[in-house]
Amino acid sequence: MIVGVIRRQKMGILTRATKNLSRRKTRAIIIIIALTLALTMLIILPPSINAREAMTRYAFNGLISADSALKGTITLSATEIQCDYPPFFNSSMIGSSSTSNILTQSFMNESLYNNITSIPDVTNVIPILDVWAVSYGPYEIYGAPVENASFQMDPTILPANITEGRNLRVGDSGVVVLDEETAKNFSVSVGGTITLSGRNFTVVGIEGSELPQPTHGVTMSLADAQAITNMTGEASAYKIFVDNIDNVNTVVTRISSLDPKLQVSAGLSQLNTAEPLQNQITELTQAAQNNLNQIQGTGLAEISIAIIADAAIILFIMLYSVRERTREIGTLKAMGASNTTILGQFMLEGVVLSLVAAVVAIAIGVVVVPTLASLLLPTPVQTAVGFGWAPNGTVVLTRISFGPRPILTGNGSNVIAAPITPEIMLLGLGAAILLGALGSLYPALKAARTKPAEAMRYE
Amino acid sequence: MSDLVLKIENLTKTYKIGKRDVQPLTNLNLEVKKGEFTAIMGPSGSGKTTLLNVIGCIDKATSGKVLIDNVDVAKLPESKLYKIRRDKIGFIFQNFNLVPYLNARENVELAMELAGKFQGQRSERAKEFLATVGLSGREQHSPQRLSQGEQQRVAIARALAKDPAIILADEPTGNLDVTNKQEIVKLLADLNQKQGTTIIMVTHDEQVAAQTQRTLYLNDGKIIKDKQPQKDALLDSSSKSKEA
Repeated sequence: MIVGVIRRQKMGILTRATKNLSRRKTRAIIIIIALTLALTMLIILPPSINAREAMTRYAFNGLISADSALKGTITLSATEIQCDYPPFFNSSMIGSSSTSNILTQSFMNESLYNNITSIPDVTNVIPILDVWAVSYGPYEIYGAPVENASFQMDPTILPANITEGRNLRVGDSGVVVLDEETAKNFSVSVGGTITLSGRNFTVVGIEGSELPQPTHGVTMSLADAQAITNMTGEASAYKIFVDNIDNVNTVVTRISSLDPKLQVSAGLSQLNTAEPLQNQITELTQAAQNNLNQIQGTGLAEISIAIIADAAIILFIMLYSVRERTREIGTLKAMGASNTTILGQFMLEGVVLSLVAAVVAIAIGVVVVPTLASLLLPTPVQTAVGFGWAPNGTVVLTRISFGPRPILTGNGSNVIAAPITPEIMLLGLGAAILLGALGSLYPALKAARTKPAEAMRYE
Repeated sequence: MSDLVLKIENLTKTYKIGKRDVQPLTNLNLEVKKGEFTAIMGPSGSGKTTLLNVIGCIDKATSGKVLIDNVDVAKLPESKLYKIRRDKIGFIFQNFNLVPYLNARENVELAMELAGKFQGQRSERAKEFLATVGLSGREQHSPQRLSQGEQQRVAIARALAKDPAIILADEPTGNLDVTNKQEIVKLLADLNQKQGTTIIMVTHDEQVAAQTQRTLYLNDGKIIKDKQPQKDALLDSSSKSKEA
């Protein structure tokens, strides 16, 4: 409607709107300053909120990953003990898989198995043979004891994430589950056949790669694995089950005494040491979530205030203008101005005011974004968590930090990147036009509906 | 009504002030021919300005007919009345009512712009109209930089710019000193004589009214005397019969 009026009147209406602003310069400047403050907030807040959100979300996601990784380190149940020979390095950081290439494996033989089985209170010993690629060839061979159902006592023994086909099951022989990478190398899918050490194996399932659980290369029955690696009777780890939690420590001592080189991890220790760490990470995650909520809540509240302030300033100033210029409105009507023309002129005045302020706000915003955003919004947080496990199987926190991210102005990595992009500028100008039109709508309608005779009598 | 630009039949205007009904115009009849220069005189509250407002379509008649160029504007809604004001009426006010933030030329252009006239040559035409009223060289002056007489000249140029059927002047000399008053009346009389502009002017001043071709005397919302050079002291027939 306003556009139509402008087009018909060849921009005369715009000239009048602009000229009226310049009539009372001091007043116009004060109004523009007030509008500029509101619009500067409106222009700098969205990108600053986004930048802060992204930072805190990064910290938040880091904590979620740490929590997930921590859960992944709890591989044993409370009455479960794992023993194996450590490779050269007796501790390992989460995610440092590349170190396996330089480590050497040691295996346990049948006599050790018999000794452990004979320890009182031990109810079950489940051997696993995990032969790393460096020991066997291009593929990791993982032998799971599926000859009987006892392996089901530990759900981590079999691959956890089967994406195609099926997992191994009791009694399987001559079949394998491949991880995605290995299947790709063999160019084989479920139902296909691979040959290892001259023996054919049917692929029954594909194991998806999903952190933090490591995948196994080629998973098959323990007997098959021992056969193709020529390691009959040998195992890389034993999963040992004790009849009672109270006897776990005794059994751990007994196993350790069999061979001091053995690495013995107790599920009870894993659980006991992981729990406070998990609680700590949960608290930090909550704190990061609170920070995120605070950034969003404060930002939204401030954007709302800026919108309301901008529209309200225009509303009141235009109401005042309509009242002050009642005789002018009467004169224009007496001269034949239509209601639409009057409506268009006053709405356009509101829009021009808002637009001028928006241009100033953009110019200011470009310069003061980091400083002003720091005053208006909560500081985002940063966090760092690192942990591993000790030779005795306890989980150890190696590093934990959480706190406000230092914000610097100028150039540098800590400057919150929230530039006023051309898109933001256009959005700011669009918002200014919309708010100018909205704020001046009621005053403009009031002006348009003024009866000329009454307006002419107005003093 | 071929040579009539205005015909008013039984015009009554009533409005309320608080709980009191006021009737500034009562059964008023009037005919104005094209090219007439008419003065309306009468004491305060006699209905002069109300009559001018009704003719100018900025106020509505309560009853009766008001025909401007054969169109009964008394029955038109506001959505059509503004077009009559835009195309048929030119106003000259006692307080000039120039738009304060526009200069003399822009004030005249505004009238053309609203009327949709002289598109593309408004600036030149505005200068011509200002020259007609003796304001050559003052086009860029804002109203504040013009004398009262000059402001009224701009207002006259603004009214002329629309080429209206009738110019309604509400005490155009009311705020002017003697010299300016004489000049403005002379200007209006010249415009009437040379360009045939129909002018209806409200005035309190006998000397100003004496410059016109016809003077109507109003009292209590009725025309009590219609003085014309040819027909001295001819009373409006309707008003006369009412009084009887």
